This record gives sequence, C-alpha cells and structure tokens, in this order.
Amino acid sequence: MRVLIVDDEAPARDKLRRWLSELPDVQIVGEAADGLAAASAIAAQSPDVVFLDIRMPGLSGLEVAVQLEASSAPLLVFVTAHDEHALRAFDLGAADYLLKPYDKDRLSKAVDRLRLRHRQSREQAPGQSPPLSVPLLPAVQLARRHVGPSDRLLVPQGPLGEGLQLIDAAAIHWLQADDNYVHVHTAQSRHMIRRTLADLLEQLGSERFVRIHKSAAVNLAEIASLAPLFKGDHEMTLRSGRVLRLSRRFKDEVFGRLRG
Amino acid sequence: MHHPPAPRDLLTRRDDGALLALWTLFWLMMALVSFEDHRHNADVRWWEPLLWEGSSCLVASAWLLVARRAARRWQALLGQPWPWFGRHLVWMPAVILSFVAAVYGLRHAVYALLGLRYAHEGWAYLIFYESLKLLLFGGLWLGIFFGLSSFRSWQAERLRLLELQRSLAETQLARLRSQLRPHFLFNALNTISSLMQVDVARADRLLTQLADLLRASLQAGAQETSTLGEEVGLLRLYAGIMQERFGARASIAWALPDELMCATVPHLVLQPLLENAYRHGVERSTTPVHIVVSAQREAGRLVLRVANDGRLGGALGAGIGLHNTRERLRLLHGDAAEVSLSAEGGRVVARLALPWQPQGA
Repeated sequence: MRVLIVDDEAPARDKLRRWLSELPDVQIVGEAADGLAAASAIAAQSPDVVFLDIRMPGLSGLEVAVQLEASSAPLLVFVTAHDEHALRAFDLGAADYLLKPYDKDRLSKAVDRLRLRHRQSREQAPGQSPPLSVPLLPAVQLARRHVGPSDRLLVPQGPLGEGLQLIDAAAIHWLQADDNYVHVHTAQSRHMIRRTLADLLEQLGSERFVRIHKSAAVNLAEIASLAPLFKGDHEMTLRSGRVLRLSRRFKDEVFGRLRG
Repeated sequence: MHHPPAPRDLLTRRDDGALLALWTLFWLMMALVSFEDHRHNADVRWWEPLLWEGSSCLVASAWLLVARRAARRWQALLGQPWPWFGRHLVWMPAVILSFVAAVYGLRHAVYALLGLRYAHEGWAYLIFYESLKLLLFGGLWLGIFFGLSSFRSWQAERLRLLELQRSLAETQLARLRSQLRPHFLFNALNTISSLMQVDVARADRLLTQLADLLRASLQAGAQETSTLGEEVGLLRLYAGIMQERFGARASIAWALPDELMCATVPHLVLQPLLENAYRHGVERSTTPVHIVVSAQREAGRLVLRVANDGRLGGALGAGIGLHNTRERLRLLHGDAAEVSLSAEGGRVVARLALPWQPQGA
C-alpha cells in the first residue's frame, strides 16, 4: 500500500512514519504539513491510503476530503486528538479514524482494516457496487455530509496544472463536463479538473448550482434570462452574456428553483 | 493617563419622583399651616402667608437641586456618615446667608410692587431664627437623602455580591472546562508518545511539564489569585509544550520586568490569551509565527499583552476565552480593569489592564 502522511505537527508525523515504515507492505510516498499541500500530494502521488489530520492551517483534513472525487479517492484514515462532532459523524458512517495518542496495537488494527479494504477495492470491477462486507459510506461522502456544501473549490493552478489553488464557489459561473474532466468557468478564467460533474455537484451542493443538461450546470445567481426554443428546450443567457441550452429534461427543475 | 469614569448615580428616576412628591407635600403643608395660623389675624392679608412660604420654597428648592447634584459627588462617602454630613454642612453659612438675602429680597420686592411695606423683626434676630430653622429642616432633608442613597447603595452592593457569587461558580466551571482544552491535552500526549521513541529524557521532561500544568489547572477552582511570577511560570510550561509540538513554526519572547513579578493577578488569567495566540495564530498559519508576552506598569495599572503575528479575521473564535476573561475581571475590579483585542500592523494584540496590586499590599 502506498501511504501519504498528513499532519501539521512534526512529532505526530514522525511517529506515524516510524511505525508505518516498519510494516513490509507499506510504502510511504510522501508527507504534508497542511491541507493544501496534502491535496497537491494526493493529486501528484495518488496514494492508496492517506492518514489525514483534521486540524490543520489553511484547509482542515475534512475540507481536503470533500474536495476529492468520491469514487477514486484514496482510503482515508482521519487522525485527530479531539473533535467531538466529527467523531460522532465517523462513528455513524463507520469511517476509519485514529485517536491521538494511539499505540502500535491500534495503528496495526487500523492498517489491517485498510489492507482488507484495499484488497476489496482492487478486486472490485469498475462500475460494480461494493461487496456487502464493507457496509460503509466512503470517507469523502461522510466528510461532505459533515462539512456541508463547499464554499471553495480546489482547482489546478499554472499552465501544467502543477499546483492547486482555491477559488470561491460563488465566483463560478458554470460547469461543463468533458469526458473525464469538468471545465470550471469563472469571470476571469477557466479551470479543468479531473472530476465527474455529478461528484462536483454533490460537493458544491444543490443550493447554488443547478444542472441544465446532461453535461452542464450553472450557478443559479448567474442566470440572466430564458427564451423558449423548439421541443421544450430553452435558450439560457448568463449574466456574462454566455448562451447555453437548457434541455427539456431539466427544465422543470430549473424553473422551480428560479421561482424559489 | 487613565481617568476613572464618573460614578453612576445611585438614585433612580423613581427616587427623584418620590423626593419631588415629598418636597411638594412638605411645602404644601408649610403653606397650609402658615395660612391657618394667620387666617383670623386681621393684620395679615390672606395672600401674605402664601408669599412668605412661596418665596422660601423657591429659594430652598434651588438649594435642594444643588444638594441633589452634590449627592452623586459624595456618594462614595456614604459608608462614613460623619464625613458625609460634614461635607454637606460646611456649606450651611453660605446657604443661610444666600437664603436670607434672596428670600427677604423677594418679599420686599413684592410688597414694594404692591405699594406696601414689609415689616419684620430686626436682621440679627432674623438671621439667628432662620439659621435655626434652616439647620433643622436642612438636617431633616439631608437625612432623607442620606437614608435613601444608603439604601440604594446597599441594594446595589448586595446585587453585585449575588452576581459575583453566581458568576464565580460559573467561571470555575468554565475554567475547568476550558483551561486545558482536551485538544491540547491529547495532542501533547501524542507528542510525548512520539518523542519517547527517540529521546526518553526529553519525553520525560515534557511529561513532567504537562503534569505541572495539569496540577495548576486543577487548583484553579480553589485559588482565586496568584502572583504574576507564578502565572508566568505556568505560561512557560505551556509554551514549552507548544514549542515541542510546533517546532520552528512558533517562537516566543518574554518582555517581563522582574519588579513586576510580585503583582497580584487572577489565577490563570493569562493562559487563555496565550492559548488563543497558539490556536488562532500558530495553528492556522503555514508560516512561522512569533509571539511576545509582555508586562508593563502604566499609571497605577498593570498592563499585560500577548501579541502574535496574524490577522484578526481568523480570530473570531477567540470570543469565548476573551469573553470569560473580561467577565471575570469585571466582577473582580469593575470598571478599573480592561480587556481588548486589536490588530496592530500585522499583529494581533490581546491587552489586559488591571489595578496594580503588589503581593501582600
């Protein structure tokens, strides 16, 4: 298993590294000391497992989790000293977590569980639902449920997408699906992220965004006008002047939301 | 230079209303008695007793207003009746002279306007007679003032004591809950757990520091004050543990003059401020944060500051710790203590000012 260690306190990272590196089937692929660095490392290394501290500067561990694509995210183990609310949520969703301080025994139990899950996720054919022996909600979805709709979205930065930056969800005009990617359109820029539209909408929440056809969604606040076309479709104009098509299938939903 | 705020008036609007009613009643009675006395006296016209009492009432009312204003200034003396009455009575000669001059001036003027002559006893006798009357009635009214103000002051004091008791219980609970946050405790334990794998002696030292801190925080309920020196000792323990956790991410400097170490301060009063500096400064920053703890004596007050690099925006959660501290100081020192949080050029400064009280003084 390829493991990433994330904690803002050096002694806490040392301890995990020391003990994990004693395990023959564990390979430590990196360490990160804050949320943004963690998200970058996950994107760059695609580890199998992330030990993720919850309280960190910048983005918290939970805020990192919600930014990951639920279906392809690494297995997450939340590590925390004391976060009552989050722990209750983890218990409900049977997520993996480690409470600080922990001994070798507890760590190895956690690693055993990870091995089992790791094997299952590899054996599982793509598109197939997980076997019943793992009755748990993926950590990403659990974190989303706990944190609520994201106000900020992590997008690649730089010409080669080498870094990551946070943009305000409110600044997003519309989202356009394109194969395995989604184009995120804002007033100034366009970002391409490797996510599915459905997963992105789950993260950003239905309060702010609404789907207008199979491969596009808009920020409700950006809709300027609608004009009917043939066969029940509509022409939607955004405040930026961009014209999009609202398909018949999503018409009722959009009209309902606009009436509010 | 700090000026203590003017004391709040002890007497309420309702008290003033009651005093006014009593005053009115008193003068109506005086007028009635005088009117009755002279009703069957053929030498006295019916309006003369009313003019006499009316002019006295007018001038006495003016002096009453002055006394009412003075009451606030001297209300601090309510606990000592003699000085309180003394301060009022030294004004008596001025009151008597001005009273006689104004009242008799008025009466003479009115008589003259009506083309009559106002006949009265000789001036020496008059002044003697009016002095006695004024002393008697003035003393009576001062007594009423004194009684009412004392009652109000006793009431306010009792209310303050009740509030103090209630909030002492509350702050004790809050302190036990908040002094050493579970998050701090468990993270410190995890640091020790990590350290003991590589450096047993250092882990042992850290464990002892944590134990000392825990002991002090458990004593918090029993002990209300300590010296600044003792407080700083605890802060250093706390900072030592944080240093192990955060390493190069945090640095701390102490600007604490030795001669201030004997100051009496509420127990664990600085701890929440330092804790905020770590929680909202260091823990939320990816760049190194410098913390400065300082103490100064400024015009009879002890001013303590905890400053850290950072902005105020992220410190919204600091509200509770700061609120508890403010509440605690308000109960102990009233308006003489202050707590504030401000941003000063890229730094967040928590400032605490309390009356300077050296130990044993």
